[in-house]
Amino acid sequence: MQSQAKRELLALYEEPDQAADAVERLHSAGFEDNDIEILSSTPYPEGAFGEGHTKHRLFAFPFAGAACGMAVGIAWIVGAQVSLPIITGGKPVVAVPAIIQILYEGTLLGAVLFTVLGVLFESRLPDGVGLYDDRISEGYIGISVMARERRLPDAQIALEEASPIDLLSKEGSLMHAPGTT
Amino acid sequence: MIAPEAAGLKMSLRPPYRPQALRISLNHAGVALLAALGVLGVVVYIIKLITAWGDRAEWAYPTVVLMFILSTATAAPLIAYASRMAKGYWALPLRRVAALYAVPSLLSFVLLIPIMASLPPLDGRSTLWFEFRAGAPFLTDALALAILLLTGMALLWFSAVPDLAGPPSRVRAMGRWQRLLFLNWSGTARQWKVLRAANLALGAFYLMGYAFVHMLLTTDLGQSLLPGWRSGIFPVYSAVTGIQAGIAITLLTAALMRRFSPEAGRFIGDEQAAALGKILVAATLMWFYFFWSDFLLIWYARLPSEVAAMQVTVAITYILPFALTGLLMFALPLALLIFNRVRQSLSLIAGVSALIVVGLLFDRIRFFVAPMANPSPFGHAMHELPAPYWPNALDVLFVIGFIGLMVAVFVYAASRIPVLNGWEMRQGAMLRKERTFMKTHVYVIGKPD
Repeated sequence: MQSQAKRELLALYEEPDQAADAVERLHSAGFEDNDIEILSSTPYPEGAFGEGHTKHRLFAFPFAGAACGMAVGIAWIVGAQVSLPIITGGKPVVAVPAIIQILYEGTLLGAVLFTVLGVLFESRLPDGVGLYDDRISEGYIGISVMARERRLPDAQIALEEASPIDLLSKEGSLMHAPGTT
Repeated sequence: MIAPEAAGLKMSLRPPYRPQALRISLNHAGVALLAALGVLGVVVYIIKLITAWGDRAEWAYPTVVLMFILSTATAAPLIAYASRMAKGYWALPLRRVAALYAVPSLLSFVLLIPIMASLPPLDGRSTLWFEFRAGAPFLTDALALAILLLTGMALLWFSAVPDLAGPPSRVRAMGRWQRLLFLNWSGTARQWKVLRAANLALGAFYLMGYAFVHMLLTTDLGQSLLPGWRSGIFPVYSAVTGIQAGIAITLLTAALMRRFSPEAGRFIGDEQAAALGKILVAATLMWFYFFWSDFLLIWYARLPSEVAAMQVTVAITYILPFALTGLLMFALPLALLIFNRVRQSLSLIAGVSALIVVGLLFDRIRFFVAPMANPSPFGHAMHELPAPYWPNALDVLFVIGFIGLMVAVFVYAASRIPVLNGWEMRQGAMLRKERTFMKTHVYVIGKPD
């Protein structure tokens, strides 16, 4: 019985058109966008290789942070009012303009901190992408695909048909090209 | 049409162009001078800390320097953000230069602490904080500035990671925390997208923080210490003139980069001057608009307390700094910038920018020396106009030394972090091409996202 665990292949291409061709062939072979990852040293416009929309949750972080920061601001203001033993006939001790400033400051603080944390969180490598090659940082474009054992030959054929300069698996180069990891 | 520098359009993607940090040496006279000024700045700061802790008048000129830094170095990163928002490819060679000013901006926090410690109690004087006493103004102002500085550093670092991380094998060999600091960088499509989103989100927060800090500090270090000075326009004036000076210092730095950095100089040219020059003209006109809006209302309302405050900052006490400000931040720049030849030449506009930066220093003198040196900040009106508080020798050394320190810190940062944003410039080269159109040449620009 063949294993159902996913394995990774990484193909390196000289030209963006070759990489786009590889993505198209992978799609035609039945691989989904979630299985395909594009690696490059320069940011290409989204969809340039025919890949699907990349999702991230970074924009949720500032909202969560802003809510937390505002809560801290409210606690700060309430604490200030409670700690001042002044009888004000029911009126607030702290004036509205000062309240707004504190709330703004707390909200901004939370939003910034959570955005920074969000960038760190969202920048982790996608699960399963383990192969890499330093030639990607030299300008070659990497197309990584995750495939179940029985579908590895399909992935390899699709990647090879787009004329890569090298094709890597965990065990090493499948093309026996020099200088590969 | 001002053409971009050819090197920027013909940038190599394979192998990718990788910008380098500045190569500096103490053997260079300029670097040695900056280092000496930096040492001077540190020494006079320590002397002030020891001899003048809690003495507000002694911190009047350091306050000028603080507001100068907040209006030049701290304003400059806004150019990187604004050009990203507006997809201005002309600014690609300037974005890192502008963002690098986040590093010398950190000096503002060092100045803020002793200045805030010298402020009198809030009771009995006009204040932004009304009856709120839980940490105001020390904690609130320090926190606001800390948020702004943190955002600026995050903006700089995140945008620099692709240029600093190196090949994936290097990142993977790093320790866990260092690898996290380098965002686990391997150049996946997802990482690029998160990076672009982070630059925009943090840039927006930086703008929000910048306006907020100017509102707090212009009030707590200015208006609330000079009875009778009540202006809702002044915080905006401070922020807008800061943007004017931020543009000026970026142009000035760009001109120096072109002159002294052969690598950066290949990409920086008149295209940047022509584009930023238009904004600089607008900002110069805004100087007059906000000054006049503030002045006119108070002058014709004729409330004695407000007129007295205006006499201090404009008409009588600090009329000399005001006259120099008007000349250097408005009259001369406007008279020069209306000429295309000046606006479209980096060398010429750098000269105008130098005038604006010097003018800003006098502007901050006229606004912040009187309040900080005012012996009676309590009440709602001044009984008599204060005498001008001119700088002593230590103050002059402080201003020169600390501004020199600001520049020295910038140069040091530029020697550690590449002064060009390599990945954005490579993307710009990919999406901007020169094409023949009928009998002329045009630039075709792709703006995908």
